[in-house]
Amino acid sequence: MRSNQKQELIMLKDIDADREKAGLKRNVSQIGNTITFEFKKNLRSFIIMLIIFTSVFFLLLLISELQLAQDVALPNDPIDYVDDYLTQFFGFLIIISASLFGGSIIVEDFKKQTGNLLFPKISKTRLLIGRLTSRYTLNAICVSVYYVLVGIVTLAKYGEIPINLWASLGWALLYTFIILTFVTFMSSVMRSTSATIIVSILFLLIVFNIITMILRFAGLTMEPLFILTYYEGIISGSLAMPNPRYADILMPTPGGGDPVSFTMWLTPTEPAALIGMLIYASIFLFFAYLIYQRRQSKSE
Amino acid sequence: MNKSNQEVLIQLKNLTKKFGEFYAVSDVNIEVNRGEIVGFLGPNGAGKSTTMKMIAYLLEPSEGEIWIRGNGELKQLTRKNKSYLLDNLGFLIENPAFYGDLSPRTILTYFAKLKGYPKEKINQRIEEVLEFFHLEAWIDKKIKTFSKGMRQKIGVASAIIHDPDIIVLDEPQTGLDPKARREVRDFILELKQMGKTIFLSSHLLYEISEVADRVAIIHHGKIIAFDTLDNLEAKTKKSIINFELLNTEDKSQNHFLQEVKNLVQPFTGIEKDLSWVKYNEETGVFQIFFDGNPLNQLNILKSLIEKGFKIIEFSVPKAGLLEDLFIELTKPEV
Repeated sequence: MRSNQKQELIMLKDIDADREKAGLKRNVSQIGNTITFEFKKNLRSFIIMLIIFTSVFFLLLLISELQLAQDVALPNDPIDYVDDYLTQFFGFLIIISASLFGGSIIVEDFKKQTGNLLFPKISKTRLLIGRLTSRYTLNAICVSVYYVLVGIVTLAKYGEIPINLWASLGWALLYTFIILTFVTFMSSVMRSTSATIIVSILFLLIVFNIITMILRFAGLTMEPLFILTYYEGIISGSLAMPNPRYADILMPTPGGGDPVSFTMWLTPTEPAALIGMLIYASIFLFFAYLIYQRRQSKSE
Repeated sequence: MNKSNQEVLIQLKNLTKKFGEFYAVSDVNIEVNRGEIVGFLGPNGAGKSTTMKMIAYLLEPSEGEIWIRGNGELKQLTRKNKSYLLDNLGFLIENPAFYGDLSPRTILTYFAKLKGYPKEKINQRIEEVLEFFHLEAWIDKKIKTFSKGMRQKIGVASAIIHDPDIIVLDEPQTGLDPKARREVRDFILELKQMGKTIFLSSHLLYEISEVADRVAIIHHGKIIAFDTLDNLEAKTKKSIINFELLNTEDKSQNHFLQEVKNLVQPFTGIEKDLSWVKYNEETGVFQIFFDGNPLNQLNILKSLIEKGFKIIEFSVPKAGLLEDLFIELTKPEV
């Protein structure tokens, strides 16, 4: 600030030259800067989620080893072994991590009023792209680490890693993305980060499941492609496609009447999962973006 | 483009913002010239922040235009060129809120990069700016451990980190203790000395009067006055001279006040019935009501000295005047 005049002149020339990099190059560099900044900002959430993912993996491994110690046979097919790690808590983990990473993505600018500092410097569009990219990347790393651990232990047990594990990883990453877009949408309409996280988890774990159950007991046999959490089925379903895509289940009625039969959908087909998830992601992102653009801070 | 236009850095032309049928800002016309501090004064809800946000393009004007100098040329601010034009501006909009778990270095690095500051010089720049605000020891500390005053300084630092020519500060001293307020005021004056142009809003009269070269007064969204303090005072014909004498103990106050009044009355520019001279026993300060004309101010001083008064202090307090002026200008018309 108090450097000599010549230095100042050189410096200002450089600044002007750099500032003239308006347009696409500048936009891209702003997105890149936002991604780097968001990595630093979300480092703590990342470490917490990484610990949770690895802890869940090791707990499941412990359960598996305890079963083996009690003479329960190891599945013949490594796919079946892998499946145990992807069906029990994995969907829940994805929902928790996406909610944690995405909860503040939009609402923090208005709740904390950090937008007052940011919006004059960067457009909301670039900010959202940068934030979504960085938070998704961190979330995807947690998911991938979990898969790598599953792959390593499968290799140790069977001497091979089933190729479908990586296809499943692809679906898990896509599913993580749509959950993150859902949380992003919630973040655009909610008033605080904690409310966003709680309401998102409630919707994803309870509300969608209740809707599915209502439809199931109402006798509707149509595939529930409109239920967001239904796409979770493709993560384990893709391990052995074509899997049975649904199961007819007989459920005894209270009072000893005739059992009731209903159809339980397990997984969408791969093309349906791809199209369905992309449509969902587009809709959530579109509305989140619109609301973000229109939303103004308390003081505005 | 004429010569005077070349000096204008920000120009607001008939700037208007409507929220439904409510006019938050109506027909605002302000020019801010290179190197000056323009104070933007008005009570809460007068339209200051809305105007500031339109300059930052956080709000789009309903009518009117904003012109900003970029690369030596005044250009109208539009959605298309806002990134480029606003690079030359630094903003502090109301309460600066930061990410508590991050350090000033991390946050300011991000802001500097966003504004295209040369990457290899960013670290040096951050260190210099924080040294300027006496926060160099806190450069790598988490912001959640900072006091409100320190956060406000980081807010101002974030506005200037990319070295803009124009700095827009919205209520920079609000909520600060007197010491922090004074520091921020001194920083503003130092920024002016560095050649920065500052557009500063506040509802605190003294905050503006201490630093501003010109003052725009906004009330109910409309500019009711825009001029230098001296000219505004002259326009309202209302000013007060404060003066102190070396020794007043041996003087009979009533007699003395009448003597002073008779002496200065011809120079006050105020009718005899309306003019007054007061003495505050607690502070030992005499007050003379006059028309604000600097020539009359000089003549009053001369007459007192020629009469042999031992004057140790003689001033026209701007803050008090601005307060009177503000009340005068904003009082409802009968």
